[in-house]
Amino acid sequence: MAEVVFGSKIMQLLIAFILVSTFMILGSTRLYSCVRAFGIQSFLLACVAGIVAYSTGKYDIYIVALLTLIIKSAVIPYIFIYIIREIKVKREIELYVNISPSLIIGGTLVVISYYLIRSISIISELSSLALSASMSLVSIGLFIMISRKKALMQMLGILIMENGLFLGAISLTNGMPLLVELGIFFDVLIGVLIMGILIFRINKTFESIDTDLLKNLIG
Amino acid sequence: MIEYLLLAPVLTGILCFLTKSKKQVETVSLTGSIATLILGLILVKNVYQNNVIISWTNALFADAFSAFIVLIVSIVGFVASIYSIGYMGHEFKHGIMDLRKLKIYYILFHIFMFTMLLVGVTNNLGLWIAIEMTTLVSALLMILHTKKSSVEAAWKYMIICTVGITFALFGTILTYYGAVKILGESGDALNWTSLIAVADQFDPTIMKLAFIFILIGYGTKAGLAPMHTWLPDAHSEAPTPVSALLSGVLLNCAMYGIIRFYTIATKSTGPAFTSNLLIIFGLLSIGIAVPFIILQEDYKRMLAYSSVEHMGIIALGIGFGGALGIFGAILHMFNHAMTKSLMFFGAGNILLKHETKEIDKVSGIMKSMPATGTMLLIGGLAITGSPPFGIFISEFTILSAGFFQGNIISSVLFLLFIIMIFAGFFYNLSKMIFGTPKPGIVPGEVSRWTLGAMVIVAVFVIVLGVYIPSFFYDMIMKVVAVIRVI
Repeated sequence: MAEVVFGSKIMQLLIAFILVSTFMILGSTRLYSCVRAFGIQSFLLACVAGIVAYSTGKYDIYIVALLTLIIKSAVIPYIFIYIIREIKVKREIELYVNISPSLIIGGTLVVISYYLIRSISIISELSSLALSASMSLVSIGLFIMISRKKALMQMLGILIMENGLFLGAISLTNGMPLLVELGIFFDVLIGVLIMGILIFRINKTFESIDTDLLKNLIG
Repeated sequence: MIEYLLLAPVLTGILCFLTKSKKQVETVSLTGSIATLILGLILVKNVYQNNVIISWTNALFADAFSAFIVLIVSIVGFVASIYSIGYMGHEFKHGIMDLRKLKIYYILFHIFMFTMLLVGVTNNLGLWIAIEMTTLVSALLMILHTKKSSVEAAWKYMIICTVGITFALFGTILTYYGAVKILGESGDALNWTSLIAVADQFDPTIMKLAFIFILIGYGTKAGLAPMHTWLPDAHSEAPTPVSALLSGVLLNCAMYGIIRFYTIATKSTGPAFTSNLLIIFGLLSIGIAVPFIILQEDYKRMLAYSSVEHMGIIALGIGFGGALGIFGAILHMFNHAMTKSLMFFGAGNILLKHETKEIDKVSGIMKSMPATGTMLLIGGLAITGSPPFGIFISEFTILSAGFFQGNIISSVLFLLFIIMIFAGFFYNLSKMIFGTPKPGIVPGEVSRWTLGAMVIVAVFVIVLGVYIPSFFYDMIMKVVAVIRVI
């Protein structure tokens, strides 16, 4: 089972680095570095999947690892960079919550996730490490979505949440059945493309991609 | 069988892409939706006779509940495609749409139909994938017009629903985790048919957690309060035929996801936990709609809030449970789909005529457009739950289930809320229907197509109010048997 794998030193190291990459996104004000950090995070996830695949000897998981590598750590960052270049967006991201409070909140979220997962006794101790990392990624992703003004950062937030769930799925059950896993990749990719189209549209109609401007529909 | 049903809308979409003129694309779209309707009805008939159909090495399956969803999707889809010809034709004539946009509209329309049918017939609980696809396609339909408000609505819709659906994915993962312990790691371990057989052995703690995530996730998509905030924006800013599909059908598809998981979770956790959650979210949705409907200034938003209310009623019906409550909820799904489409179609006619969505700027519909006015009156009476229309029957069934099960407080609250909504909704509607027409409005209907579509749904609304045909009754009873646990 996955539990043995998740106890190993290399796995713990990878998971720690995944968390570090999330904090890189939290602590940066430059769009490019956020996208790069996301790419690194996805690459590390692909490594996690690769190790799980190697130790269980399942071909399904190899495919999943490969897809993560291609789609999440190459194609999606490329789409981001394309959008940034194409609409000539200002490279700095404006924040509702400043960097230092953001980092503190991020740290708090990690601690909360850790204790929350530990308190659910049904899940064994070893995979609980990966699971609490996954929970942290989901909550930090949500936090990024609400604390950053640029529409691009909301898109990035969703992807971080999705990465978190991926980590959760692979640590709990060695990933979902291949068919479902493929479907999720398809949806994520199409989702990113369509959000890209929407961002272009927002930029065209509002001449900015600050979500500040999107608050006319109420009541 | 099932694969043909799925193929029809995809093929229609591709053919729409190849057309060269307005006439052609309309013909293709209409033919395609008739084909989808016929295939859908054949599927329903087959399921009615054989109970369960499985094809494509277990990937696709249809039981009574799937067939019911397919029935709703194909009927409303067919009617909406008739309505589209009139509505989009009018916009085309006035230069709001060009041929390119018209083609994109029809292509997306049929792909949207495909994704909704897929929700109904996937065996796999990865129906998550299909539900996420519906979000993606419909967001594109919303930004067909480059208005500020519709772009804003589409972005909110996309972001909020994707986040919501991400939670549902977590719920699905947890369910799979529960299933793997019993079924082992296999591709079948997420299949509805294999899950339901062993659902009572699942760990209740995991299933409780999973159900909460599923309810919040799919609840966002179904417009249950307090996750409904995107709904009024999206449903009022989408092109009207799409609004009808979103409100009438797509919400039901998300509800379908919740109900499927409800059955599995209830088997493991016992009925108290899941039912109470559904009752709480249901009542909250109905309650939250009250002030927004009474004080509403925009008639399409008013209809959207009414959808929040009706989704709440369906959740409440399932929550009350028992054969009676579930029967009411399922019947309500159908009635709401028909009635809400009728209302949105009527609202679309008003919008084309008056070019405003403000209630105060519209009056005298009965005089300027007598047929639309009459049908809006019927629809308005029906949607607020007055006899002798379909929704009255289903709401009454759910209410009596509530009293019967001893949920006195919730039932009384429910009754109170729908009375208030009746008053508010009807007050706003009568301001538009009666009175003298605004100056500058030329009397006459917008198009025969839009009127024809309204007549078809109006027939369902009226007939189901006076009597439920025995085959339809049997069908719903079969759905109840699928959902009901105890």
